[in-house]
Amino acid sequence: MNTRECIESGILEAYILGALSVAEAAQVEADIAMYPELAAEMEAIETVMQLFATKLATEPPAGMDEKIWGALQPATAAASQPNTPKVIPFQPEYRKPVQWKHAAVWAGLVGSVLLNAFLWTGKEHTKSDLAALSSKMSAIEQQQKDMAGILKDYQQNKAMMADTGMQTIVMHTVQPGHPMAATLYWSKNKGEAYVSVDGLPAPPKGMQYQLWVMENGKPVDMGVIPNNMANTPEMQKVGKPVTDGQAFAISLEKEGGSPTPTMQNIYVMGKV
Amino acid sequence: MTELSSPATIYNEAELILLLKQQTREGFNYLYRQYGAVLYGVINKVVYDEQTAQDVLQDVFVKIWTNIEQYNPQKGRLYTWMINIARNASIDKLRSKGEIMKGKIRTGEDIVNNLQQGMKTEQATDTIGLRKMVAGLKPEYETIITLAYFKGFTLDEISKTLGIPLGTVKTRMRHAIQQLREIFNN
Repeated sequence: MNTRECIESGILEAYILGALSVAEAAQVEADIAMYPELAAEMEAIETVMQLFATKLATEPPAGMDEKIWGALQPATAAASQPNTPKVIPFQPEYRKPVQWKHAAVWAGLVGSVLLNAFLWTGKEHTKSDLAALSSKMSAIEQQQKDMAGILKDYQQNKAMMADTGMQTIVMHTVQPGHPMAATLYWSKNKGEAYVSVDGLPAPPKGMQYQLWVMENGKPVDMGVIPNNMANTPEMQKVGKPVTDGQAFAISLEKEGGSPTPTMQNIYVMGKV
Repeated sequence: MTELSSPATIYNEAELILLLKQQTREGFNYLYRQYGAVLYGVINKVVYDEQTAQDVLQDVFVKIWTNIEQYNPQKGRLYTWMINIARNASIDKLRSKGEIMKGKIRTGEDIVNNLQQGMKTEQATDTIGLRKMVAGLKPEYETIITLAYFKGFTLDEISKTLGIPLGTVKTRMRHAIQQLREIFNN
């Protein structure tokens, strides 16, 4: 039961009206000590009941005060020394024997040291927990980046598949004795092309593959292909628009590409 | 100059507790002046006989006087504590006189009869007379406050007496006190 439900149930009123069993009343007292909302509501109820009691006020018969004071004398005498008014200063701590203060100081000190040790241990735990959490977080971040990359590829693939004007051009090896291949997907009406070089070996150091389109017998530069794509099924969109052409070719060039292909280094070619 | 010119000091509850612990005549006079009529009023609502009420009032002051060390501010106001002493002492007095069962049965029967007869509610609750003090208090609320606060009925006993579920008894108590709050705020 939450505090709101507890208040709405009327249990606090039942407590004030004295209708609860000893166990129920003890539970209410414990709840009030724990939840300030309940304590605040109880305060409000007590205020009402105080006003209510005031409404009932009836003056006792004259002389009752003297009679009661007389009845209190044995009680007072029993509680204090004979013929000496019991004087209790308004600062009750003066009554406490001095050794209690020493004991209290030591208890406080020892308690404080123990608490510090406890808190320090707790702090160390928290530190290592934090480190573990933070490495977990970076692992999750990395996974998330990877997933985003995969998702992008899928979206690209999906767009390509949906494009009915997409042609597939398989480029075959032109180097006898070296079976190589690459694939180009071309949407002529959109001028978009995608290339995959899964059938090409990783280029030697300092070299890079370059894509060409043959327009009326003349090779036109279509840009270089990232080296990490070789020998993987990864696909990349060609950076330049491809609107016309009769064939595509890939050559091995120096890093960064060449203005014209090195003829003996043309590895694969495919006709549209 | 004279006693008449001495200012009427008002103590808050924390100060009053310290004052009572000193057990002086001044402390008693203050206690009696501030709370005597309220405590007597509560006692009178439980025990009808005036002589009994006076005896109980004396017992209540003795209890407050000797048990002040046991008062725990965590459990409520000093005011509430003193009123509870008055209520419990009064209800105990009824019990010791063997009136407890008689009282419960009679009150229960009265209320059931009144509910059945409807029209006679006013007449029956008149002996309780809460509505003389608190104008506008609904009869059903008056009944529930009377049974719990002045007759010492438990939730279970009220539920059986009135033939309503325990949960309803509690919510009715809540509404009763809410109505009191509204009445006092106006």
